Amino acid sequence: MTYSSDERKTRILYANELGKRVMSGERELVILESLALNVDRGESVAIVGSSGAGKSTLLGLLAGLDSPSSGELEMFGHSLSTLDEDGRAALRAGRVGFVFQNFQLLPTLTAIENVMLPLELSPRQDVAVKSRQCLERVGLGARLDHLPKQLSGGEQQRVAVARAFVTEPDLVFADEPTGNLDETTGKRIIDLLFDLNRESGTTLILVTHDMALARRCDRCLQLEGGRLQAVERQPHGVEA
Amino acid sequence: MNLIALSLKGLRRDLRASDVRALFVALALAVAATTMIGFFLDRLDRGLTRQAGQLLGGDLVLEQGQPFDDGLRQELRQAGLTLSDQVDLVSMVSQADAFQPAGLKVVDDHYPLYGQVRVDRGDGIEKLAHGPPPGSAWIAPRLAQLLDAKVGDSVQVGSLALTITGLIDREPDQQAGFAGLTPRIMLNIQDLDATGLIRPGSRIEYELLAAGPPAAVDSLGSRLDTLREAGVEIRDVRVDRPSLGRSLDRAQKYLSLAGLAAVLLAGVAVAMATRRYVDRHLDTAALLRCFGASQRQLGQLFAWQLAWLGLAASVVGALLGLAGQAVLLSLLTRFLPLELPAPGGMPWLMGVLTALAVLVGFAGPTLLRLKRVSALKVLRRELDPIPPSGWLVVTFASLVFGALLWLYSGDPILAAGILLGGLVALVVLWGIGQMLMNLLLAVLARLPQRSQNGRAWQLGGRQLARRRQASLGQLLAFSVTFAAMAIIALVRGDLLTTWQAQLPTDTPNYFAINIQPQERDGVESLIDSAADSGSGLYPMVRGRLTAIDGKPPKQQVPEDHQTDGALRRDLNLTWRAALPEGNRITAGEWFGADTDTDTGSEAASDGSVPISVEEELAGRLGLSLGDELTFTIGSDSVTGRITSLRHLDWESFQPNFFIIFPPGALDDFGHSYITSFHLAEGDNDMLAEMVRQYPGVSVLNVEALLEQVRGILGQVTRAIEFVLGFVLLAGVSVLYAALTASRPARAHEGALLRVFGAGNRILARMQWAEFALLGFASGLLGAALAEAAALGIYGWLGLAPRMHWLMWIVMPVLGAAVVGGIGFVLSRGARRQAPMESLRLLGET
Repeated sequence: MTYSSDERKTRILYANELGKRVMSGERELVILESLALNVDRGESVAIVGSSGAGKSTLLGLLAGLDSPSSGELEMFGHSLSTLDEDGRAALRAGRVGFVFQNFQLLPTLTAIENVMLPLELSPRQDVAVKSRQCLERVGLGARLDHLPKQLSGGEQQRVAVARAFVTEPDLVFADEPTGNLDETTGKRIIDLLFDLNRESGTTLILVTHDMALARRCDRCLQLEGGRLQAVERQPHGVEA
Repeated sequence: MNLIALSLKGLRRDLRASDVRALFVALALAVAATTMIGFFLDRLDRGLTRQAGQLLGGDLVLEQGQPFDDGLRQELRQAGLTLSDQVDLVSMVSQADAFQPAGLKVVDDHYPLYGQVRVDRGDGIEKLAHGPPPGSAWIAPRLAQLLDAKVGDSVQVGSLALTITGLIDREPDQQAGFAGLTPRIMLNIQDLDATGLIRPGSRIEYELLAAGPPAAVDSLGSRLDTLREAGVEIRDVRVDRPSLGRSLDRAQKYLSLAGLAAVLLAGVAVAMATRRYVDRHLDTAALLRCFGASQRQLGQLFAWQLAWLGLAASVVGALLGLAGQAVLLSLLTRFLPLELPAPGGMPWLMGVLTALAVLVGFAGPTLLRLKRVSALKVLRRELDPIPPSGWLVVTFASLVFGALLWLYSGDPILAAGILLGGLVALVVLWGIGQMLMNLLLAVLARLPQRSQNGRAWQLGGRQLARRRQASLGQLLAFSVTFAAMAIIALVRGDLLTTWQAQLPTDTPNYFAINIQPQERDGVESLIDSAADSGSGLYPMVRGRLTAIDGKPPKQQVPEDHQTDGALRRDLNLTWRAALPEGNRITAGEWFGADTDTDTGSEAASDGSVPISVEEELAGRLGLSLGDELTFTIGSDSVTGRITSLRHLDWESFQPNFFIIFPPGALDDFGHSYITSFHLAEGDNDMLAEMVRQYPGVSVLNVEALLEQVRGILGQVTRAIEFVLGFVLLAGVSVLYAALTASRPARAHEGALLRVFGAGNRILARMQWAEFALLGFASGLLGAALAEAAALGIYGWLGLAPRMHWLMWIVMPVLGAAVVGGIGFVLSRGARRQAPMESLRLLGET
């Protein structure tokens, strides 16, 4: 596949003929097959699918956390297949944020220390100021020094969201960000996520099984049988 | 990425975690134990080097059993040396009714050539650059105490009364070690003749001390060699640095080994705590990978973090070590009469190096796991990197520990030997420990279940069984430490007592020496009138071995015995017709029953004088039957051919001689007599009479000498016990680290048990039971090891073995109390956690 230099500039993620197979005992298990995806700067894309469809595997591949069995994959115009794990890590540094279903906060670190963590990987002076601002932005200005176990689930996820955006990344991956939260709290988190996404012009890849959430994205893709298919948008918000 | 700053921050945040605390404690203990010994030995070593001339008494010291002639003095002075004469001997001194053997140091007006004497002349301690003036004596405070004398009193030395004018606090040339068994009395050389103690055959060392530049000593050149060949013992400060004596040398080795034992245990604790540390940081590592950190950065980050921890622990450990060495020094005061320089920098460096080496060796392979974490772990929690194989961890740790052993002992062969021996012992002990644990658990299973206590013990036993490998590790750590402490206690408290108890009741308890021929009959009848038994009187002539088969001994003696004491000083020679009681011929034949004691010397078949030599001495010097030995006695010499080798019973407390001549061969040389006898306790009248009638005769009390030995042994063992205390603490750090590593699992188990209805009380009892069982088993194994070691030591010393039943009871009970108590306290945190919290936070701190 060829593409113009303009496309290169705006393209954040590009996957073609992407495949992932794993061995399960003697048997080879095909998780993803001939998958194609193109995500442009500033887009928000939802990937939906049932449990076990391979959503998390795809997210791991797209974020460069894992390597594909076959196919092409590019992030920020760099082919991930030519990079080793350290090279992929260097590509992510400061440019990719994550929000996880289980928050992934470090239990011995306070809220602000958790947010500071990705900033500390790059030499900069304003780590504490920036982290505090970010936590204030998510409404946790009064809980800076609390440990994760002293925070509610919603508060913990807000810390995680703050951590994802603190580096002003080009791309944010969110893996079932409301999976562990009740409906009301979940909705608040989602509002926050989209607000921040809009404010910072970040590209967002959201993996979820929640169609209502998925519909808030610019595009919605369904993972089924190892491939992605576009989901038609219904004018009244009813699923196709 | 600023890794150093980040690692510091990370460490600061981590200080809340118990595994980091366990690492800190273990490392600090390792550093404390090694720096304590390091500071101690370093100060001693530098003290000795700096004061070498002072301790030796001069730059060059000549010593022989007779006075030096003026010609030699003249030669030395011409070479540019300043001289001082000194005479050393042992004699009885008395004050009123009290009498006591003392070490006489007779000094001239040039004493001391180096340094000053610290003396209390009644106005506090003064530093004086001279010895006591004629007519007066300075005595050691211990002698003053034994004689119940004070400054101003009169003390009888031989036939002369001297006034005590000072108490000696420290002599500049006082050698450390066992040398000063008899307390010191110092007098002026002008008084020596008047004491009447200089008598033929008396054990007297004449010393000529010389001070001057090395060039002056060198200019003497071959003159010194000639003197050496003539039997003069020569010490040159540049070659013969004063040593601490073999006893303290050994004590030093044991101290170093004990210090390294603490390092080893701390290493085990570090390895255990690192496992938990790594487990806990897998998520951090995965997240950092997600955020873009490279493997190399991760490796460096955690390595830096542990390095900071190691450095901080080193500082705290070294401060503890500094305090510890002060205690150690105060425990060994009697050994260390010299002024020590301030602690130096080297032990600090070694401490830091040790901490870092322990980290690299015991934490390194496990830490590498963090580097290998996949970023995908953030999505799939089960994706943990495989732990390094146990073999890799043990091998790597062994290599690093071996390097530390080498570094501290300076002896690669010893280090390899200890390492290999240790590994073999570990495998054997592991097997024994496993059997012991199985046995205990089998016994527990038979306990009645109905009572809550019985149930708690069984549950505690099951906990131990579930963590079998870690429990076994702790069992070995504690049992070996307990055993070491028990052995030291046995040596101190039991060995001498057992030995004494096994001696026949009429074993001589007094020696009388320096008996002159004309006093012989009088002394003999005095002894016979009061003593239960006696050895009879043996004549004694002092002579130096100056030739073997006509050549200088150094050419004939095996390489490793060139410096044997028998070659360096005068030997006591005797003559005798009959084989002494307690002696046994092991090779050749005794002079013969038909020896004519009255007429001349017995000639061997070839006309030479036959002599009998003690077999161990013969072995050391490579002597065999038929060899010719030449002894220099005064200005004459006598040669004999070895016709028999003898085995001696040193425990007989009879006068024993390395060399025995037949009657007639030595009679013309100046000689004195020696005897030993048994005197019932409290029968002191005869002794008082002896001192009064024969002031030149010295009576030595065996019990008093043993008391001295016991006192010194007590100091050394207390010092070793103090070091072992650190080893025990290192053992506790292993327990702490093991608890840290198993805490999440313990908390989870506890929470589940509570969910199922177990109360706080049963949980507490269960945990107490678990650790008490561990301590009980450790005490039992420790007692077995100590008993086996005691059996070995007693066998080696030729003592009848005996069981120490009390130890078998005390050690398991004490072990259960100590380990049980500590484990109970340290596991308090896990017990206090609410069940919900434990279940939710499984796998987290």
